[in-house]
Amino acid sequence: MIELRQELARASAMLDVRRFDEASELLARVVSAEPESSRAWCLMARAHLGADRYTEAVTAANRAAALDPADEWPHRLASNALVHLGKYTDALRAAYQACRLAPGYWQTHVCVAQAALAAQRLDVATEAATRARGLAPNEPDVHFLSGKVSLARSDLAGAREHQERALALDPGHSGAMNELGRIRLRRHDTAGAIRHFISAARATPDERIYSRNIDVVLLRAVSRTIYMFTLIALILIWIPAVTHVDRLPFVIALGAVAVVTAACFAWMVLRLPREARLLVRRTLRAPRVAAALALALGGVAVAFGLVAFTPAADLAQVLPVAVVITVAARLADFAALRGAVRKH
Amino acid sequence: MEPEPTVLDSLRKAVEAMPDDVPLRLHLATMLLQAGHRDEAVRQIGAVLQRDPGNARALGLLRDSGPGTAEAAGPPPADPGVISPERTGVPAPPPLAASQPDADPGEARQASHYDWSQAEDELRDVLPAMFVGDGDAEDSASAAIEEADAYDAEHAGLTLADVAGMAEVKQRLEAAFLAPMRNPDLRRLYGKSLRGGLLLYGPPGCGKTFIARAVAGELGASFITVSFADIIDMFVGQSERNIHELFEVARRNAPCVLFLDEVDAIGQKRSQLRHTPMRSAVNQLLLELDDVSGNNEGVFLLAATNHPWDVDSALRRPGRFDRTLLVLPPDAAAREGVFRYHLKDRPVAGIDLAKLARQTDGYSGADIAHICETAAERALMDSVRRGEPRMIGTPDLEAAIAEVKPSLGAWFDVARNVALFANEGGTYDDLAAYLRKRRLI
Repeated sequence: MIELRQELARASAMLDVRRFDEASELLARVVSAEPESSRAWCLMARAHLGADRYTEAVTAANRAAALDPADEWPHRLASNALVHLGKYTDALRAAYQACRLAPGYWQTHVCVAQAALAAQRLDVATEAATRARGLAPNEPDVHFLSGKVSLARSDLAGAREHQERALALDPGHSGAMNELGRIRLRRHDTAGAIRHFISAARATPDERIYSRNIDVVLLRAVSRTIYMFTLIALILIWIPAVTHVDRLPFVIALGAVAVVTAACFAWMVLRLPREARLLVRRTLRAPRVAAALALALGGVAVAFGLVAFTPAADLAQVLPVAVVITVAARLADFAALRGAVRKH
Repeated sequence: MEPEPTVLDSLRKAVEAMPDDVPLRLHLATMLLQAGHRDEAVRQIGAVLQRDPGNARALGLLRDSGPGTAEAAGPPPADPGVISPERTGVPAPPPLAASQPDADPGEARQASHYDWSQAEDELRDVLPAMFVGDGDAEDSASAAIEEADAYDAEHAGLTLADVAGMAEVKQRLEAAFLAPMRNPDLRRLYGKSLRGGLLLYGPPGCGKTFIARAVAGELGASFITVSFADIIDMFVGQSERNIHELFEVARRNAPCVLFLDEVDAIGQKRSQLRHTPMRSAVNQLLLELDDVSGNNEGVFLLAATNHPWDVDSALRRPGRFDRTLLVLPPDAAAREGVFRYHLKDRPVAGIDLAKLARQTDGYSGADIAHICETAAERALMDSVRRGEPRMIGTPDLEAAIAEVKPSLGAWFDVARNVALFANEGGTYDDLAAYLRKRRLI
């Protein structure tokens, strides 16, 4: 018995320092020697969860639940793994079971809120988050989850309030920083969002999702800039046909559009922190992004060239071709940028 | 007739005592083949070919040891006890007694009358050399690392000269750690303090532990290594007492290098350990470190981690692990050394180490070990198919390189985040410079 307790303590210590594979190996030995230990199976489920082996985590959690039906922990573990497997209904059912077994334990309500959020049952999630806050008002994770629920309900002010509360309770809560970034993004504040993502990446460099968010937001900013440029170019193409102006003002207009677009992008970049500016440079040099930029600029230049150098009498025939070229350039660069986002 | 197990055991012990005695090894290999221990026999033959690549008898035995020949082939053509020098090109093994400690030295001398260098010259062209361009290249990584028992002080058994390549790391080690340690007068003259330890960090499998051991060897100090398993064991019992005991052992064995491997496990950020008893263990470690720096009587602190950003910042303050050294993936010379080390006990021929080193830029030492393993597996399977054993060649290793991908991508993803976002005070400037050089940021 003492030996089992020691082995479980050893496994717990491994899990605390995030050595999930080592813990799994140790626990595999433990459960083969002591298959009736519910706690060993729970720890095993936790180790599998940490190592992203969700199916195995569910199996281990179910074994633990069968051995100790009165314990809520196996159900929470199963619920968590089921969310990752996309089985939201089952996850919610397991979370309810945990909550039924330990209604006074805030973690079970957080578990219900999490599963309900994944299942898009926002009313259930809101209710569970409220209960969790009532039970543990000083627990940062409770406010973090409440903020996520508020954001899902598009309550940006409420979401921000919760995340700021989570940060006040735990200044190193990188999840809350990331959520604040997402809130900024919903407010179309790219620079503000990136600042929060950078804070999150700084607090937890091991978590790659934060730096991925920065990359994706930057790509989105590039995509929007190209979109605005091609849209304005598309409108300008019609000007010679409609107004019969000379070629020079037309070419000047194209140049002005290009300069203004570049200036807008530069202004956005200058508002970014130094680290993000480095990333912008890297993003713009990425082959797919460079290809997207070349396609957009090339397509628009060809379309403008066609319109500018065609005699006024033939403009009606050329104009549809120019429009098609511009739209095709936009679609091609959009595809290239989507590929770049997927790569991240 | 199958040899007695006791005879085999005696032969094994004799070979262990005299690892370079080729005839003795051949004798053991023959006996092992007779006893049906084909794998072990092949290992012994490989060791013979390593020492004497052209040994015709070894090659003959290797052929005999091929699949399906070990037991089914029946007895060998001659009595293994009486190996004909004419047939094998090598002299008969010395009598077994010659390998025993109480053997007559005259007999041993008689056995060594054979002109080895002449034999090597004669046989040089029979088989290509193990490594292309192999002159008198040192087997730099030949010193095997033996696992240290927890809390047991041992001798490191190697020095920085045994670490192939990595000139920059050695240079920085010398400046930051070794020179002040070795020159107490100059140290006093320049007012250089001995306080604090050195934290080695870098991607996994790139030789941090090996370097730590070499540093201990350089200092002529005993070496105590504390592995991740030891650390976990500490937490299971009374962690504070265990940590104190560890430092006491180090003090008793001074001069001693105390090496904390995977220090991120023991010195994890206390903010991440809010709900665990490990928090108090970190506090105890800090206490001991301060004590060591206060009574610095020959206890040198070294630590290694793959994730220095997870190490509690209190551990990195002046007087503790205040100096860091980035140990990057092995450079070309180091990769050659790693290949050499992992191939030395295998039957290889014509290996172009320089070419392999060029092809494995960005691979860790552990990746290269895996490549050698994969190449050996490939040669083995080929031998099984052809029914005839063959040597491992450069093409096997090149195919293995194509198969084994570098494992450091995940580490560099995190390192990129650190260099970009968490490089406060320039702590990771060297890492950032490396990443920039490799266009990873």
